[in-house]
Amino acid sequence: MKKKLLSLMLGTTMAASLLAGCGGTAAAPAAGNAAAETSAAEAEAPAAEEPVAEATAAAPDEAVTLTVLAGQSTTDAGIEDMIDAALAEKYPNITLEWECVGWDGEFHPKMQQYLQTGVPDIIIGKGQDVATYSSLGILNEIDSTYTDRVLDAANENVTFDGKIYGLVYNALYQGVYYNREMFKENGWDIPKTQEDLQAIIDDCNAKGITPFASHMVDTWSIGNVTMQFMMNDVFNKNPKWGDDFRAGKVSFSEDADAQTCYQYNKLIYDNTFPETFSLEQTDCDAKMVLGEAAMKVSGSWSIQNFLDIDENFDFGIFPFPNQTGDSKLIFEPNIAIMTSSSTEHQDAINCVLDVLTSDQDLAVEIYDYTKTAPMLKGVTPTYPNPSQQDIDKYAADGMVVDVNLGNNQLVWGGFQDENAADIAAWLQGDETFEDCLAASDARVDASSSSTN
Amino acid sequence: MNRKRKSGMERKMERQYFLIVLPGFVIFTIGLIIPTILAFRYSLTSWDGLSAEKPFVGFQNYVNLLHDSNFLQAWGFTILFTIGNTVIQNVCALLFAVALDSGIRLQKVYRTIFFIPCLISSVIVGFIWLKMYSNVLPEFNEIFGTNINFLLFGSSSTVLPGLLIANNWQWIGYWMLIYLAGLQSIPAELYEAAKVDGAGAFSRFKNITLPMLAPSITICVVGITTGSLKVYDLLVSSTGGGPGRASTSVILHTYNTAISGRQYGYGSAMSVSLVIVLLLVALIQVKSLRSREVQQ
Repeated sequence: MKKKLLSLMLGTTMAASLLAGCGGTAAAPAAGNAAAETSAAEAEAPAAEEPVAEATAAAPDEAVTLTVLAGQSTTDAGIEDMIDAALAEKYPNITLEWECVGWDGEFHPKMQQYLQTGVPDIIIGKGQDVATYSSLGILNEIDSTYTDRVLDAANENVTFDGKIYGLVYNALYQGVYYNREMFKENGWDIPKTQEDLQAIIDDCNAKGITPFASHMVDTWSIGNVTMQFMMNDVFNKNPKWGDDFRAGKVSFSEDADAQTCYQYNKLIYDNTFPETFSLEQTDCDAKMVLGEAAMKVSGSWSIQNFLDIDENFDFGIFPFPNQTGDSKLIFEPNIAIMTSSSTEHQDAINCVLDVLTSDQDLAVEIYDYTKTAPMLKGVTPTYPNPSQQDIDKYAADGMVVDVNLGNNQLVWGGFQDENAADIAAWLQGDETFEDCLAASDARVDASSSSTN
Repeated sequence: MNRKRKSGMERKMERQYFLIVLPGFVIFTIGLIIPTILAFRYSLTSWDGLSAEKPFVGFQNYVNLLHDSNFLQAWGFTILFTIGNTVIQNVCALLFAVALDSGIRLQKVYRTIFFIPCLISSVIVGFIWLKMYSNVLPEFNEIFGTNINFLLFGSSSTVLPGLLIANNWQWIGYWMLIYLAGLQSIPAELYEAAKVDGAGAFSRFKNITLPMLAPSITICVVGITTGSLKVYDLLVSSTGGGPGRASTSVILHTYNTAISGRQYGYGSAMSVSLVIVLLLVALIQVKSLRSREVQQ
């Protein structure tokens, strides 16, 4: 009997140890260029630049340690040291206890954990996270002293019920990066319509040039470009498409525009490297720089690779053409600083926000390091970005749109990323297009960023 | 008198066994059994893992699992991956062990070379083979003018073989050592007696080596099966579960659903169903282990 008991205990222990393994997303990095990106944001927010304000927060008399959970993109890792140094200089009594994790795979699990035990004083995520966590009532409103130092365009999609819950620090641009020299040599103009784009693709194929560089092994890249397509073919016509989707008014199976967006993936798949499902981003970017492909639907996070591989690589950016020929460049608020509503150190948090929004040297250092666009008024990074002239042009024409309009309605985790997996399966021939659309419709309950 | 003394000895031994197992059992109970019970509780809700409310939905999550094609596909991949690993690793590890036990030169060098991959983290192994298939091996086509498809991770039809190669490359050396230890513990007299009786090499392998290796085989089968059912880290760093969903294991799918997808209740139902399967596997294996002990 005791042997049986021992066997049972051992068996249970073994099963439990196996369970340990079942406990338990796209690197979204960034880059953009200084002056033009600032002007791009200004195009949406005529509020314009103002000199960055002086310190406004009262320094604590006693030493305070603030906990910080930072969900970082690959390009962000390292900025915590810069912030620590600047904070130590201005507010030596305040210490930040950092917990830096990858935004894609670890940030949300960490937040789930902290929701049970108490959230950190400061939470650093992406602009799209503000919608999710503000709906839980765990975030404090950011004082206008600090949000006033940020471009108005950056505040729009982190404002809920009239309150700003996130301090957007930088931004990314997304669209089609193109080899400027190759375009010039072949006499290709920037395409505005699908017909224009098809003509370039045909010419590429005729000349033995791969039209698009892509790395579909990273499923997130499929999800990313699909949202780019959705912004210009779906949300431009119906800014509430996501809400209508949940209300049952529209669906992927019935909406021709949404289906067109999925079909654009096929267009790219048919005109990219045959090894796209085996190709990593760095290798893909290298092929682009080496002239093996003419275009790449991507985001500012590719700039770092482009310039690392060849600092003289000349590239530009244009929005992926939509059906109506009026595509806008995609703008994505990236680093978003949120603060806990249950913190006991609000004054100290304000000191940190003060350093982040008033220290221009720190801001320039961070923007140059991450190669992203500034969201602080009056701050101009110094790193080179060949695509800046294009960004400036689209910004000046008001042809820039904030992707959080779509991301806030159709959440990334559990919806966009899962749809991307189905799109990949469809491209691989493992699913029919109809099944792929139906799968997106079936996960409608997981599409909302709000948890209430 | 003897019976009474033996019974006392047995009781003492059993007490010792119990005390030896007890600390581990307590730790696992606190760290794993209780969370498993909580997971079952969550599996009866539609909790998203974030909000305070945990709406009770009864067994609806379990009903939904039966119709979840992605979950069933994940099981399909996991089972094929497990079967493939169990067969290939056992056969190869045993053959390598027999070869090394045959007295070949440089035995220690080969043993070390075979063993090194298992010292590497599975995450790194995933990266290594991703690079092998996409960068290193295709170079051979360039050098030798061949046209072999090395992009095994790039297609849903070849991703399973690609992962089996990567996983077996990592673990065969480990299991080979266990077989080697088993082989070296077999008394040489048995082989000599068999030779005298006229038994050939195959007959000696079948009638002496395999039966004497029974405990090693059990250990290897159990280890490989459970390791394969748990596969997660290898996938995360190599295929990410793709292309599409072609290499999504049950645990990867559960993680994606519960954590990234914010369907904690539904993900918990997946976990519980997995635990039930694992418990069945564990019970069968324990039973098998005991029966072998009886045979010997």
